[in-house]
Amino acid sequence: MTNLKLELKNMIIDTLELEDISADEIIDSEPLFVDGLGLDSIDALEIGLALQKKYGIKLKADAKETHAHFASINALAALVESYKETN
Amino acid sequence: MLSFKLRGWNTYTPGLESAESWKDWLLSQYELSTDAVKPELKNIPAMLRRRFTAIGKCSVEAATPLLNENEKIPLVFASRHGDVDLTLSLLKSIANNEPLSPTSFSLAVHNAISGLFSIARKDRCETTAISATENLIPFAVLEAATQLQESKHVLCIICESVLPDLYKPFASSPPFTYAIAMVLSREEGDTFYLNNTHSKKTTLNTKNEFEELISLLLYQSDCAHFPSTKNIEWSIQR
Repeated sequence: MTNLKLELKNMIIDTLELEDISADEIIDSEPLFVDGLGLDSIDALEIGLALQKKYGIKLKADAKETHAHFASINALAALVESYKETN
Repeated sequence: MLSFKLRGWNTYTPGLESAESWKDWLLSQYELSTDAVKPELKNIPAMLRRRFTAIGKCSVEAATPLLNENEKIPLVFASRHGDVDLTLSLLKSIANNEPLSPTSFSLAVHNAISGLFSIARKDRCETTAISATENLIPFAVLEAATQLQESKHVLCIICESVLPDLYKPFASSPPFTYAIAMVLSREEGDTFYLNNTHSKKTTLNTKNEFEELISLLLYQSDCAHFPSTKNIEWSIQR
């Protein structure tokens, strides 16, 4: 697990108060929402806010690409990486 | 005068787990230990459980033992200040120009706890969330007893948390967080009467309203009195 992915998992666990879940239980490629980890739309907004606070990334809640960025830990890590490169 | 029956009641306060401990507390009003048993909500899936704050957890723990597993029952949820810690944390965020937590925002509405409870129980019956500065308990009972016209049973949850220190100079606070749940019924249980009478006194009750109700439910009194500043005195009696 890369440091960034672990960091993102811990961020999700802390901000969403997933008290029963540990970082190694979140699979990098699996969906974060509904079928995978089982997060919901309020969680999506909370993750969006956490990304803004932690990495300065601003996303539009209704944009299609936002949906894709939130698909999995892999997708979130790619988003953060590309943001770091361009800023 | 309005009559109703009480199919069952229960209370949840960390530190007062039994009727005996409540009776002791009513007599001596000792300070509760802060390391008392915390509500666990074992029957609620973890992903939903994390959304319940302390006052919501107490409400669920108080109400759940009264209900049959798949029972569909309307709910009257009553609290004067609701999830006041959550509201205050949001206000502080606004004051500090910080973005608001969407989760906290969604949970800070007054009917959030009753909504979460209905999701957890998969019960689509109506829920009513009420608040009142004084006489919250008789108003909650009035609402629930009135709904017996529509339903055979109505669940009524009354809960309050300790006020944050910032608010304590401005309003009374219970000494601890509590929830009382009652199932009012058309046909099952002991009969109770809700009354209101005009009173020339405008004294505020020195007791907390929940003490009056618990005393009545535990047979420590025959009548719970709820005076007000509005020249009306409410009472509930057997």
